[in-house]
Amino acid sequence: MDPRSLRRNKQFDTLARYVITVGGIAVIFSVIAILFLIVKVTLPLFKPSSVEELYTLPQQGQAENILAIGLDDYQENIFTINRQGHLHFQALREDGQDAFVDLSSGSAKLVRHLATVEPGLFSLLWEDGGVSLVAIDFRPQFDQHGKRTIVPGAEIIEELPPPGTSSAITSTLIRQDEEEGLLMRVNLHDDNGFSIWRRFKTEDLFGDETVEESSNVIAPPFEKMSAFALTIDGQTLFAGTAGGTLLRWDIGEEIVLTDTIPAFKEAITAMTMVFGSQSLAVGTESGTLSTWMGVRDSNVSETKKLRKIHDLKSHGGAVSTILASQRDKSLVSLDSQGALHLDHMTSERHLLSLQGPHLLVAKSGRGSGMVTLDQGGVLRVHALHNPHPEVSLRTLFGKVWYENYDSPEYAWQSSSASDDFEAKFSITPLLFGTIKGTLYAMIFALPLATFGAVYVSHFAPPHLQRIIKPLVEVMASVPTVVIGFLIALVLAPFIEAQIVALLLSFLFLPGGFLLFVLCWQYGQRFTVVRQLRPGYEFIMVLPVLVGSAYLAYLFGPLVENLLFDGNFSQFLFQNTGSRYDQRNCIIIAFGLGFTVIPIIFSIAEDSLSNVPPNLTAASMALGASRWQTVWRVVLPSASPGIFAGGMIGLGRAVGETMIVLMATGNTPIMDLSIFNGMRTLSANIAVEIPEAPVDSTLYRVLFLCAVLLFVMTFIVNTGAELIRERLRKKYAQY
Amino acid sequence: MKKIVKNKYWRDGEPFVWGSAAALSLILILTFSLLIVIFKNGIAVYWPSPQLLFEMEDGSSYLGEVVQDEEQPTGLRHQLKIANRDLYGLDFTWIDAADIKNKSRPEGAVVLERYGYGNFHGFLSALNLPSLVVDHGPPWPRFQAALAALGPEIAKVKESKGELRALNHRIVGLDKKIAQYHHRGDDDPATLLPLQDEKGLLHHEFDRLVADLEALETTLHQNTALFTDATGRQQSIALTAIVRAYQPNAMSVFAKTGLYLSKLWELFFAEPRESNTEGGLFPAIFGTIMLIFIMSIFSFPLGVLSGIYLREYAKEGFLVRLVRIAVNNLAGIPSIVYGIFGLAFFVYGIGSSIDQAFFPEYLPTPTFGTGGILWASLTLGLLTVPVVIVSTEEALGAIPSGLRESSYALGATKFQTLVRILLPMASPGIMTGFILAMARAAGEVAPLMITGVVKLAPSLPLDGNFPFFHLDRKFMHLGFHIYDIGFQSPNVEAAKPMVFVSTLLLLGIVVLMTSSAIILRNKMKKKYAITH
Repeated sequence: MDPRSLRRNKQFDTLARYVITVGGIAVIFSVIAILFLIVKVTLPLFKPSSVEELYTLPQQGQAENILAIGLDDYQENIFTINRQGHLHFQALREDGQDAFVDLSSGSAKLVRHLATVEPGLFSLLWEDGGVSLVAIDFRPQFDQHGKRTIVPGAEIIEELPPPGTSSAITSTLIRQDEEEGLLMRVNLHDDNGFSIWRRFKTEDLFGDETVEESSNVIAPPFEKMSAFALTIDGQTLFAGTAGGTLLRWDIGEEIVLTDTIPAFKEAITAMTMVFGSQSLAVGTESGTLSTWMGVRDSNVSETKKLRKIHDLKSHGGAVSTILASQRDKSLVSLDSQGALHLDHMTSERHLLSLQGPHLLVAKSGRGSGMVTLDQGGVLRVHALHNPHPEVSLRTLFGKVWYENYDSPEYAWQSSSASDDFEAKFSITPLLFGTIKGTLYAMIFALPLATFGAVYVSHFAPPHLQRIIKPLVEVMASVPTVVIGFLIALVLAPFIEAQIVALLLSFLFLPGGFLLFVLCWQYGQRFTVVRQLRPGYEFIMVLPVLVGSAYLAYLFGPLVENLLFDGNFSQFLFQNTGSRYDQRNCIIIAFGLGFTVIPIIFSIAEDSLSNVPPNLTAASMALGASRWQTVWRVVLPSASPGIFAGGMIGLGRAVGETMIVLMATGNTPIMDLSIFNGMRTLSANIAVEIPEAPVDSTLYRVLFLCAVLLFVMTFIVNTGAELIRERLRKKYAQY
Repeated sequence: MKKIVKNKYWRDGEPFVWGSAAALSLILILTFSLLIVIFKNGIAVYWPSPQLLFEMEDGSSYLGEVVQDEEQPTGLRHQLKIANRDLYGLDFTWIDAADIKNKSRPEGAVVLERYGYGNFHGFLSALNLPSLVVDHGPPWPRFQAALAALGPEIAKVKESKGELRALNHRIVGLDKKIAQYHHRGDDDPATLLPLQDEKGLLHHEFDRLVADLEALETTLHQNTALFTDATGRQQSIALTAIVRAYQPNAMSVFAKTGLYLSKLWELFFAEPRESNTEGGLFPAIFGTIMLIFIMSIFSFPLGVLSGIYLREYAKEGFLVRLVRIAVNNLAGIPSIVYGIFGLAFFVYGIGSSIDQAFFPEYLPTPTFGTGGILWASLTLGLLTVPVVIVSTEEALGAIPSGLRESSYALGATKFQTLVRILLPMASPGIMTGFILAMARAAGEVAPLMITGVVKLAPSLPLDGNFPFFHLDRKFMHLGFHIYDIGFQSPNVEAAKPMVFVSTLLLLGIVVLMTSSAIILRNKMKKKYAITH
């Protein structure tokens, strides 16, 4: 042979070995690596928050002179308002411009109290009792090249004259509702009483304006007021006293004191409404921080009593300021020693501590920036990385007491129409739904598939095996969307109408079968029956089963009339309180069972027919009957294989998506009843991911669902795989 | 003696044998009832059913076909498809059998399939054909002649619509070019002006064509036929709004077969109508096939390569065992997990990077950074790679080692042995793997739903416009079609026949693929039985 061609062959072989090895390893590892990517997406959920200091700006004059600070969304401008009513805009970027506005319009009056009405709107209470409402906004402007500049602006939109009361006003909260033309003002006086003033401006069809004003007074209570808060709609007033009492008034139509709770044994030092105005955050003298909300005390009563819901991380000293985020349910709090805490209410996560000593703090509207003022008069601008404060292991898997709930619950509700909604990301009901659906499916599928496989492998004639095995494989290939459609649109309405017949058939099928077996035994004394060849029992029993099912179908309406007053679902609801859903667990058991049966059947049949024939032959030779052989010899040695088949089927049922998506109703409830639906992890992903913005909390939580699914199926499949491998080795000996 | 026999019967476990027989029976009953339900409903959809005229006791009357009967406590009732959604609001109604005064099968009952408002059931009463030259005669033959004469005109309309699409494509192309120049900061009028001029010309041409088309359509719309429904209400229907018209009660079996075949043709080769509940499935069939095709291009070579590596080149040991378990495992990972991975990695990862690198001028409108057929195919490719790996490995493993050794003994290198001996012998097994992978891909819907399938794609991923393959386009899919029209459509009752047809089609494709894989595998088994 030509040595050159030999050499070429050899080189080619080496090259091929190299290509195949590298290619093979690369493919396998990249396929495995994808799964790590899914895990990577979920990791930021559990990262702690962090801050990064961007700018440091020393301020002139005394730090205590500054009453309010703030910054824009892009961290490009900050502002300060001082006691003289001077508003300073300071640009952080080189090319920006500083600006100055005198809100006191040149007079020498001082600001006594400053409060935030809503994002970008501040109320300044002057010493004389008058109030100015100041709107501060940062408008992005774009030039021809698309370059963005932020233009700060401030405007006094309303000046309220001092009310003509005798006692001085120590602090004021303002609420406004532009649509209703409402402006209201709640004052705390130095005699410890409140006064409430409202103004309605309405415009009729001809553009004529009518102004209505009203005032009310709340008499001073028994203890010294130390903090108060007002809901965003101005309907409820909360106050805390130096003695630790929480008070609540409805101040809508008329003024009613609805709650007086001796909440603490110490002074309440700060309070504010959490975003959405459903919960109240309360800080005390010893540094505890908690949130409170109205809860119905029993199922029947409509009145809500204030209750402590969440305890957040305590401060070292008295809580001086609580600032609610205007984007989510997080709270920034300062204590008397100037330490800053960032906490999230729902998850009770302590996100951040900054040692101060801080005097003031403000967050930007989007929550990505924070500005602080320390005692030395230095302003610091921070970038805040806090993407998923609402997620903790407890909110994902535990019970959480959400707003508007009467007790702690496992709940999944990812979105709602309003912005101030508390997202509920509990995976527990989804896990529960997954396990519930799988469980019912396995109860249905496992015995059928296993015993079917036993029959085909050991009792049926061999040529039947060659027909039924491919048939089952074809059954395995039926797309799940087809099964889902059939069970949801054909089977579900049918079963809803015939539910009693179905329940009856659980009785009739075994009954009819037993009757038939007894008859068959009786028939043994006739030669005609005895001469029937064994191996076709399944055909003979088929009409019996169909007949019993038909009997159940006939008797169904009769029994429904007799036992369930003619309407099963109503009977069920009245007697057990659980509803009958059209798309329920029975439907799912059928659907998932249908996909799982062929898988279990194939694997079980393989391991059953691989049991070495000399074992069965030996058993038969010792006089055992065919069932005794199967039960005592074949099943024990093939049981690991059957078990493995069951596990692989389980893995398939856990991850099945289309069937559960179409036939469960997708309600994330936790109820074991077989007559209602559920939502599974996989369907949850399919339902929610199109709505989830990239890198949002929902997006990452859905990836976490995928990871859970992956882990569950991985454990089950690996276990099954190891068992099968051992079994293969065991039989290789024969 | 009697007692012993009885005990022996139970002790021998005969009843348990019967029990396992019953389990098998139940499985078979389930399987066959599923198949029967799909076949029965799917096949009958296109067979024209007789139109019955029901005159009720209260004086009302209905013309329609009986869809189903239901036994109620109050007595038997029929569900009728009465069509005429534009007149009655609903296509279906229930009537009590007890209230029927008279039931007849009028020969002249006409079923119209229309482009809008679903079918029409009624009687032809008059024709108004200002722009069509049709011989005079009885109304029905004249109506059919008019419909036939309309054919060439409608072809003209279609042709100019095609021209409009082509023009539109050229205009969009120019827009893209201009956007690219802008993005580069190249605002030079010398380069832009010719483009603007060309665009202006095209727009002019476009407007002219649109005006012509409108004129033609207006004249065609004037040809109408007057129909009377069961209650005597008159309805004038433009001939251009009619897809197909027939008189089911007067049709022979051959005519019905002809209609059935023409509807089948429509199913396979026409576009869907009426938010997918009528008309053809061509885009969905095409999308499914193209998806499988692209998936195969990625999945098969890589899967075979890895399978060969694992069986022939890798040294058996702990690591290979681990990898094998992992690969087997991957085949069992839920498809939705692959889907969500495809979304994160392909769509938002690679797709967004491609957009930033190659199509920055269109941002923030994504090109590849959104779901599309390429990403869906790659996701399915990942899903099916384990299937291909496992079957390749098994096919190679089933070849007796004696064959390899004899090849080496004759001086062949490992690669030569692989290419000349092993792969040809393993090819049926590998083919089986391919077919099973394709069947799996055809039936999967969940991962597609999040990587680019849509209910109605405006254009196919493959067309006559450069660059012909538009891998960034969204696509339609048979399986998703079932889910969508069965569960998202506003009129589920009217959509049901279409769902059954799609189901039958999808099931047919998948079962055909799987059974051919099984037959191939059985042949291969026999072949090796001889080689041993």
